[in-house]
Amino acid sequence: MAASTTPPDAVVTVRNLSKKYCRQLRTSLWYGLRDIAAEAWPGARPPARLRRDEFWSLHDLSFELRRGEALAIIGANGAGKSTLLKLLNGLIKPDAGSIRLRGRVGALIELGAGLDPVLTGRENIFLRAALLGVGRAQALPLLPAIIEFTGLGEAIEMPVQFYSSGMVARLAYAVAAHLHPDVLLVDEVLAVGDFDFQRKCIHHMMSYLAAGGSLILVSHQPHHIQAVCRRGLVLEKGRWAFEGTATEALDYYFSRQLAEADRAAQAQPVPALDAARPVVIEELTITGAGPAVLAGEGTTVTLTYQALQPQENTCWGFFFYTPDGSVCITGASSPSARLAAGRHALTCHLPRLPLTAGEYLVKSMIVELAALQPLAMRGWEDAPTRLRVETPEASMQANAHRMLQQLTTLEVEWNH
Amino acid sequence: MKETIYTSQSPLLAPRVFLREVRADLGVVYRIGWQLFVRNLKVQVRQSLLGYAWLLLPSLVTGLVWIFLGRSRVLNVASGDVPYPAFVLAGVFLWQGFVEALSCPLQQLSNAKATLAKVRVPHEAFVVAGMAVVVFNSLLRLLVLLALMRWFGVPFTGTLALVPLGLGALLGLGLALGWLLALLGLLYADVAQALPVVLNLWFLVTPVVYAPPASFARWFNLNPVTPLLITARHWLLAGPAAPTPGFWLVAGLAGVALFANWLAYRFATPHLIARF
Repeated sequence: MAASTTPPDAVVTVRNLSKKYCRQLRTSLWYGLRDIAAEAWPGARPPARLRRDEFWSLHDLSFELRRGEALAIIGANGAGKSTLLKLLNGLIKPDAGSIRLRGRVGALIELGAGLDPVLTGRENIFLRAALLGVGRAQALPLLPAIIEFTGLGEAIEMPVQFYSSGMVARLAYAVAAHLHPDVLLVDEVLAVGDFDFQRKCIHHMMSYLAAGGSLILVSHQPHHIQAVCRRGLVLEKGRWAFEGTATEALDYYFSRQLAEADRAAQAQPVPALDAARPVVIEELTITGAGPAVLAGEGTTVTLTYQALQPQENTCWGFFFYTPDGSVCITGASSPSARLAAGRHALTCHLPRLPLTAGEYLVKSMIVELAALQPLAMRGWEDAPTRLRVETPEASMQANAHRMLQQLTTLEVEWNH
Repeated sequence: MKETIYTSQSPLLAPRVFLREVRADLGVVYRIGWQLFVRNLKVQVRQSLLGYAWLLLPSLVTGLVWIFLGRSRVLNVASGDVPYPAFVLAGVFLWQGFVEALSCPLQQLSNAKATLAKVRVPHEAFVVAGMAVVVFNSLLRLLVLLALMRWFGVPFTGTLALVPLGLGALLGLGLALGWLLALLGLLYADVAQALPVVLNLWFLVTPVVYAPPASFARWFNLNPVTPLLITARHWLLAGPAAPTPGFWLVAGLAGVALFANWLAYRFATPHLIARF
């Protein structure tokens, strides 16, 4: 948990923050009326305990954000991320604890909010700016830059109801980006834009941070988090679970998710062999020389399979993925191999594992070379193998890998 | 640099901070309200063929119907020295202003729920924009009413200058009740369901289309709209300049209620948003 002393350059300080919600709508409305009545009674504080049907959406959360810093809030659906952003934006009020903000807060919580579908993009720029507290006279000089950032061209004169969701995202982000708040809250808004727009937004966030802005980003896109944020905070069911660098936080989050997936996978037996499934991969293990798998050290990969009958002209391969399973970092495929009937193992040795310390997923497959069709796959439809790579010893190089969020290493012969 | 602190405490425990926030919000309400008002007007006409004609058409058609009824002498209701159509039109004009002001906060804030749940913006801006439309529409209807009064031969007297005060008191009372209805109506849908029924009943017990019988004057005066509406109608239709008993009391109480209910809504805002 974050330290209780507040750094002098903190722009956001959150202390023991809690917010509760009610599961039942009718009960929630009744509690709402009671809470409103309590507001008019000075000294009456809402009860810190949970009432019937209530649960903690956020509980006892503390952290701070310094000037020029970007913090990623990571968590599964329902972990309390959006509640936290609403509290930071002052839309709802805490049930316990406090939030101290220094400077003007800008929020991109839902891009379409506040845009009128009948008005043109240009008219909506003024409307949106007004909702964010900037008048027409102040917004007018920013108009060319905003329109240029949107990249909408002639569509800026079109009613917003004819825009795609990506175009709406461009318009709304462009307005908020040009109003220069001291703290920017961004909630999963880049997902709808195309790659050009995402690149533009990330570039904008980087320059905003370089200019001294502070940012809190909620996203499920690991590459957005890693591109923008140096720090990450993981929430689990409304509680503080982990805080560290963005990569560490993502590793923690995905390892927790994978641990749950593993538990589910272990409950599922290996599929039985039959004519439609003549080969199955039973297990893939990766072992080092010692008890742990170490970065840059020798590693053995073992694939255990079951085959109904012998298979000629096949090959097998394994592929290292990022912890979210979306990007293949590297991999290897064997030359032609022969599978024997029954249960057997295939092994290979990596003289120097080219991965840096961290969490990875490993997927594997056996392919029939003549038809170039996979005979058996592991990790795509079912749970992949988890791999934790550790660093042999603390070193400056290992720290640099962590800081640069580097995943692989190259073998280089330097000519100097 | 501006510092903001959010805690679970009631804003009444830090009244200075609360008033500073209110002042800061009111500073931007005009700007946002104006943009929203312009938006409302544009949206109102952009999706229609007749455009701005719709601003005048309903009042004109109502006026023409009453001219027809007046000329054909279908209705023969006692309304003093004033022709009955002018009496009714003036009453309906004032009642409509009251009803629109009363419905304004709940209607505007319900329509803006999706925005209010995601964007930090003073809710007053939406109500101010809605009230601007109410005042704008009232002024247009007033123009039509004055033309019809001329048609029916009602003299224009100096009391016409007091009409904005009477109309303002009615709008103020409507808005005071409207803030309270918004607070309850954004939580419970029953309020929006019951509102048309209650307003229809209220219309019947308010002397809008008839003059209150003297024997029931005491009962009619229990209805807060009565003194405001009768006084404003007198001012419109060359009646006595002195307000009817209860006018100043109701107008004063409406002012106090407007302030109190608006503050109550502000206290309620975070709790309402949490339930949007």
